[in-house]
Parts: sequence; structure tokens; C-alpha cells
Amino acid sequence: MTVLANPAEKLLFEVSKPGRRCLRLPELDVPKVDVKVALRGAKLRAKPANLPEVGELDLVRHFKNLAQKNFSVDRNFYPLGSCTMKYNPKINVTLLSLPGFTKAHPHLPEADLQGHIELMVTLESWLSEISGLPAVTLQPAAGAQGEMTGLMVIKAYFESKGEGKTRTKVIIPDSAHGTNPATAALAGFVPLTLKSTADGSVDLAALKAAIGPDTAAMMITNPSTLGILEPNMVEIARLLHAAGAQLYMDGANMNAIQGMVRPGDYGVDVMHFNLHKTYSVPHGAGGPGAGPIAVASHLEPYLPTPRPVRNADGSYSLDSKRPDSIGKVRSFFGNYGALVMAYIYMSQLGREGVRRNGENAVLNANYLRAKLRGVYHIQNDKACAHEVVFTDKTQHEQYHISALDIAKRMIDYGIHPMTIYFPQPNVVGGHGAMMVEPTETESKETLDFFVEVMKQIAQECKDNPEIIRTAPHTTPVSRVDEKTATTNPQLYCPMCIA
Amino acid sequence: MPFIQNTEADRAEMLKAIGVGSIEDLFKDIPANLRLKMSDPGMLKLPKGKGELEVTRHIQELLAKTKNAGDYAYFRGGGIYNHFVSTLIDHIALYDGSFITAYTPYQPECSQGTLTFIYEFQSSITALTGLEVANASMYDGASALAEAMMMGKHVSEDRHRKENRNTFVLAGAVNPEYMQVCKTYADVAGIKIAQVAPGADGRVDGNALAKALTRKVFAVAVQSPNYLGVIEDVEAVVAAAKENEILVVQAVGEALSLALLQSPAESGVDVCVGEGQSLGNHQFLGGPAFGFFASKKEWLRKMPGRIVSETKDKDGRRAFALALATREQHIRREKATSNICTNQSLCALRALIHLAAWGKQGFVELAEHSVAKTQYAIQKLTSVPGVKLAHTGAPVFNEFVIQAAPGLEKKLLKKKVAGGLPLDKYGKGRRGQYLVAITEVTTKADIDRYAEALAEAMKGKPVAV
Repeated sequence: MTVLANPAEKLLFEVSKPGRRCLRLPELDVPKVDVKVALRGAKLRAKPANLPEVGELDLVRHFKNLAQKNFSVDRNFYPLGSCTMKYNPKINVTLLSLPGFTKAHPHLPEADLQGHIELMVTLESWLSEISGLPAVTLQPAAGAQGEMTGLMVIKAYFESKGEGKTRTKVIIPDSAHGTNPATAALAGFVPLTLKSTADGSVDLAALKAAIGPDTAAMMITNPSTLGILEPNMVEIARLLHAAGAQLYMDGANMNAIQGMVRPGDYGVDVMHFNLHKTYSVPHGAGGPGAGPIAVASHLEPYLPTPRPVRNADGSYSLDSKRPDSIGKVRSFFGNYGALVMAYIYMSQLGREGVRRNGENAVLNANYLRAKLRGVYHIQNDKACAHEVVFTDKTQHEQYHISALDIAKRMIDYGIHPMTIYFPQPNVVGGHGAMMVEPTETESKETLDFFVEVMKQIAQECKDNPEIIRTAPHTTPVSRVDEKTATTNPQLYCPMCIA
Repeated sequence: MPFIQNTEADRAEMLKAIGVGSIEDLFKDIPANLRLKMSDPGMLKLPKGKGELEVTRHIQELLAKTKNAGDYAYFRGGGIYNHFVSTLIDHIALYDGSFITAYTPYQPECSQGTLTFIYEFQSSITALTGLEVANASMYDGASALAEAMMMGKHVSEDRHRKENRNTFVLAGAVNPEYMQVCKTYADVAGIKIAQVAPGADGRVDGNALAKALTRKVFAVAVQSPNYLGVIEDVEAVVAAAKENEILVVQAVGEALSLALLQSPAESGVDVCVGEGQSLGNHQFLGGPAFGFFASKKEWLRKMPGRIVSETKDKDGRRAFALALATREQHIRREKATSNICTNQSLCALRALIHLAAWGKQGFVELAEHSVAKTQYAIQKLTSVPGVKLAHTGAPVFNEFVIQAAPGLEKKLLKKKVAGGLPLDKYGKGRRGQYLVAITEVTTKADIDRYAEALAEAMKGKPVAV
């Protein structure tokens, strides 16, 4: 039988046909000009950019077809560890579509932006309350930029004290996400890796040995990327402060402890939030997110500008007169639209909801830990926070099946795989990690289904290992050759420059 | 309980399965004295949660304290533009959960939708710029330029090993938001930024540039059209940078200009970065939109950000996957080309839909309408007594600077005209100058109203010479 090609399966560039289009402009209401004359003196392009030409129905069908090839929170359980793939309330996007937001231009006068500045000031105050740190900036566009902003602030602080040249090192546990060392390097520090203890917490003896007069800060993720609450936070903060250094907390896992403990109370000096994780800004197939940072009072002078502020008379303004500020890390006010969604979400949560989210996130993760104990190996089988890290030890030793294979098989059951690319094997006993973060929004029934699926996969590892190694079997494409993507990259459709 | 489905009975059952008596037992690693007591109203001072009806009302109240581009005859740009955004885009990118509630496509088999659109987006950026490698997006135009600066430094560390080049030149009128972000990144990286002021015609001063481009410079950036709306001679910058092997970066603040102007590849630049807001993204007070980043192929392995490649599945079918992750932070840690992880993917999807929905011809027409309306606006506004173009002799695309009189802003706003952006703060000698932006949304009636209000406001003001 001949394989028939459905046009909806082709790329837009491949179905393009001259003369097709979706949109048209109103008739020109000013005199037409000859572009060559109007732009005299400018060099013009030789020919129009070869953009696809498609009709509206085919365009819609193209994207709806692509939509079906994606797993998403709206359709699938998505326990991607460390990413907090919780439900994104629909009201967020509905309200964000109001013209008051979509047509809000950053160069409007302050008087026209009062409601927006008020929203930012309020959101800052909420994040301040949750972090236990007095000052917040909403400017960083994502967690990684929040980290960078935080380290820049720390650097500026030390420079003001005349210690900029001597405090050059940032201590980072080996379990940290790769952004931490990358950020430290980008911010002009030398990252120093700290080995974790067998149970995944900070090795206090090793930390004491690592801290010195050249230490600027330690970046700690709490709960850690192993899903474990760091038991010695207070002592860690004390050790750093005694040496004149700062404690930075990566708030990627804030979903677990929001409303339960304020990082500032531990002695944290700077932390970032990932609003796309904890406060339900949709992840957008990779972004945009938002990565605000909260800081202790001695670091406030260095925060990026402009700072939204509430004046004594109840009006709001944007304050750029901050001589010690590090400057701007992103244009205008950051990902304001993302901030609006977090604000709407947090308005709905309220005080009780913030606490409840953390409690249920941790409850759900521990429930999975309890139900799958014995089926999959757990390196640190103690109460976990919002995520539980299993490993492929049993399946790998007995059946030569890796975390990657198990992840691919989950897809056949309609579940998005957990995180398997980190934590790195050296922090989970040399095995492949399987980091599962169910979030608080999943029902017990979904968790029970997940447990049954994972048990069945474990059984398949024994009975039918081939079905695991060749998984997935139900997707539009079978296992993808990612190696060739890197060794022989093909990064654009040739027709785009035809 | 909003967004939580566990019932009291579920919770009890789950706690039993876990083998603990209460949820708080799971938080024992937090010292008891630091655990927040919800019974103490002084702790966690957040308002009570609101339902959908209440939160909708609240947002409407907040928005009642704002005005937006739709409330005025609108002439402000300066990096964010009041363009038309098709409803097709919101239907696909915002209201259908398939893309917006997915994340980074680390598992290609269940993420072909995302990977395919990123590949098509990269192809669109390649179509616009002519450059062979485009990444999956950056945060914005400003941080994309800062990342290009960092990349230029890394390229130079390889190319000019012993030279220790450490200066980044910003040539001509670059958007101040971009300059400030570059400066913040440069400060911690120990990079020196040198600025070459624009000449009288608003373009890069060729002589000053030639002097600045020494062998201490690793990269030079030129924005075109620049912050003053003027179209630069990018080819001339490329020629000036050639002798000393300086990487040339073109920044694009108004992506629509790529429809008509010589493409970055034709000009010969190494890297083109820019702000993509104009391509189907709402204004949102400046974000989220996205930064684009395109480069010549030879710098591929120094590039920041995610990149998608075509490949095959094990049955030989076409498939797409993330490529070259060894540049990225999750593999390479402190040796990564950048720390970017979460990007602005959904905004890149919006751009792709925008570009495909207008198509090859429609995208050019969009630009042509802007040019025609801009020419009309120049003629109308400069016919107001006392108003003239601040820079003459160089072409403009859809923005231009008028020299009028200081302090006109409020008078115009009262007439429901958000006139050009006052440039007083942009640099010396710019008192009374305004940066005027035009898009396809601007009507002849808007322009006429602006001219009329401007004439009224200028009455009694000294005539510019």
C-alpha cells in the first residue's frame, strides 16, 4: 500500500504556495509611496524573505496537528521533577487577554500605569512575606536570570565593602542544577563544587573546609534537587555569615516549603522564585517564566531599577534613582505578563492556599514514595519534600534497563516521563535518577494510576524487556535519534532560504 | 479547595499509607521554631483567597486605574510597538493548552509538536536574517544583545588567544534599555563597553567608529534601524570591523524592518539579535515577548540557548530533537556558553504563527504600509510651525525624531494623543526632541489629530532653527 502524505503532516514551508495567505490589511489611507524612494539611501533586501504562504484553515490544522503531538499538563499527568508542572488555571490567560494588559505600553506616563505598578508592588509584598526577606525585584525573566541577578547583587555588596576583589568563590553542592555553576561563572565568580553526604544533604565538615576569606557565597537548593529538605540550613547560614559570606537559596523547589517556613528565617540572604513553577505561570513549551529575587535589607540598595514603589499619598511610581543599583538585567519590567498570571493565581490562593499547596505537594510526593517503595530503588528513603527521586538500580542490575528506557515506556501509558537527566549519577549512588514531582494539583486517583503504571512497567522489565527497550510504541515517532541531531545538525528547512 | 483535589478522606488514607500521623510530620527537617503557625494571623500576612468572580472584578478595578495604547492616538515605540496581533495567535498559543501547558521538549517522542514549531521558528528567523543558525529564543532583545557580547568575548578568546581583547563597542544610537542590560552583564564579566556617539544625521559616525575599532575590541554592535529610527549602513560597519577581525553584531529593535531592509546576512554581519515583540506578541508593558539570536554557522558551538535539529526516529521517519546540548548549562555546567534555561518559547510560537499568517507577501505589505504612513506623518508633523526633523539626510523606517519644544507631552495627552516619546533623558542636546513611532495600526486620522494637537501645543513656542 502506498503511504499517503497528509498535508497537515508537512512543515509550513513545505505546503507553501504563492498567493495563499490568512490576513490582509485595510486599504492604505495615506498616499502610497515607492519604498525605494521613501527609503533612499538605505540598502534594501534583494528579495522578500521566503516565509510560508498558507491559507487560514491549513494554518490552523497544522498547529492543531502539532498540538496533538505534544504531551501537556492539560492532557497528561506530567511529573517532570524539579519543574513543578501543576495545573494552570484558565482564568489566568483569560484575564491576561484584556486590552488593559495586551496594549499596556512601557513608555506610557506613570499616571497611566498606576494599576500595573500597584500590581507589581503588591506581588512584591506577597513574595516578600513568603520569603521572609524585605525587598523583591520582579525584573529577572527566568530562574537562571534570577540567580544571575542575585549573584550580581552579592558582588555589588562586596564591592561596596571593598571586598570585591578578594571574595571570588561561590560554593555549590554537587547535586545542584547546572544553572547554578553556569550562573556563578557568568557573574564572574569561580564555582567550587561541594560533595554531598550519602543522604544528599550538605556535608557540614566539607563546607567548613571550603569556606574561606575568598568565599563570596554559597548557592543552596532547598529542598535539594534530591527532593530532601536540608536539615542544617540554620547552621549553614551561620557558618557562611561567620566568614562574612552570603547564602543564596535557589527557590526552584519553593513549592514544597511555601507557607511552612520562610527562607529569610533560616538566614538566607537572597533567593529566587520561579513563578512558572510555584505560582502557576504556564510553562509555555519552554518559557516564558519569571524569576523574581527576594533579598535581605543590606542588599536592597543593589537591586535592579526601576523599582515600583508606593508613595505616602497612596499613588505609585517607578524609582530609578538608586545610585548603588546593579542596573538593569532585562528591558522594562521583566516578563510582566507572566507576573500578572502569578498575581491572579496567588490572589486565588490567598494565605490558606499558599500553605495548603505546599502541604499537598509534599503529601502527594510522599504517597508515591510509599506506594512504589520496593518496586524502584530509593537512594534516600526518608520523608521527601515535593518530589521523590527513584533510581533504576534494580531494573538496571537485573534486566539492563535504564531510567531512559523506563521513561520512554511511560509515554505509552500517556504519562509524561519524570526527570532523568539530573541529579547526576554521582549523587544517587551511580544509578540513573528518576525524579518524580507530582505537584499538589493531581488527584489521588491519578497518583494511584501512576503507581499501577510504574508497577506494570517494573513487571514488563522482567517479562518483556524488549517492549521497554524499544518504547515508546504509541507516539507519532518512535525513539528519536538525538545523537545525529548533534553530530549532523540540520537547523532550518532548506526552503526558507530558497 | 481551589486547584486541590485531595479530599479530607484522601488525605487521611494517604497519610496512613505513608505511615505518618499528620502532614506536619513530613516537615520535621524544618526546625519547629521556624515552622509558621497558621493560627498566628501575624504570620504569612497574605489576603484571603478570592474566587474567579471576585478576582475578575479585582483585576478590572486595577485596570480601571490604567490607560493603554488603545486609549490614544498612539505614537510611542522605542523598542515595543503597537502592532496588530491576529486572533489566530491567541487561539493557538494561549487558549489551546497543548503548547502553553507543556515544558521544554526534553523527551522528543512526546514533544514533536513543540520541537516542530521551534524548528519552523528557527527557519523563519533564518528566512528573515539569512543567517544559518537561529536559536529557540532568548528573554528579550536587550539580553540577546548582552548574550551576543558574551559570545563575542568567547569567540575572541579562541581566535585571538594572546590578545586578551576586552572591549565591546556599541556603535551609534542603541536602545538605552539594551545598553543598560549590556552594561550590567559587562560589569561582572570585566568587559569594557565603549560607545561611539551617532553623527549629525543620526547614523554611526564613520570616522569615530574607525578610531574605536582597535585590536582591543572583540565585537561591535550596531542597531539598525537604530534607536532614533534611522537605518544604518550596516555594510560599512562590517567593512570597518574587518581589518581587526572584530565580530559584528546587528541588533534589530523593530523586527518588521527585516521585511524590506538588506538582510543581516547580505550585510555580512556575524550575528543578528533582536526583539521579537513586533511579531505577533502583545505589548504587556514590555514583556513577555522574545529575543531572537541568529549567527553564521561557524559560531554555532559558541551560541547560547536551545537549538532544535531535524533528525530521524529509529524507523527512519523525520523527527525533531534538541541538539548540541553540550553547549548548555545542564550538561556543561560552569563551562556552558550561557546560563539560559527557561526561554520564551511560547512567544516564539506566536512569531511563527504571525509570520505564516501574513506570509511572504503580507509581511512585506505590513512593512510597506508602515513606511507609507511614516512618510505621511513626517510630512504632516514637520509642516507644523516650529517642528522639524531632528536628523536629516538618512533614511528612516517606521520611527523618526522630531525637534519641537520641551514639555509638550501633557498637553498632547490631554487631547488623547500619546505623541512621540520625549528624548530629554536619552542624551545631551535632545531637549524638545520626540521619538515618533508608526505602525500599520496608525491611521491617517490619528496622524492628522497628532499634527493638529501639536500645532495647538506649539503655539507661542519659539520656532526651532
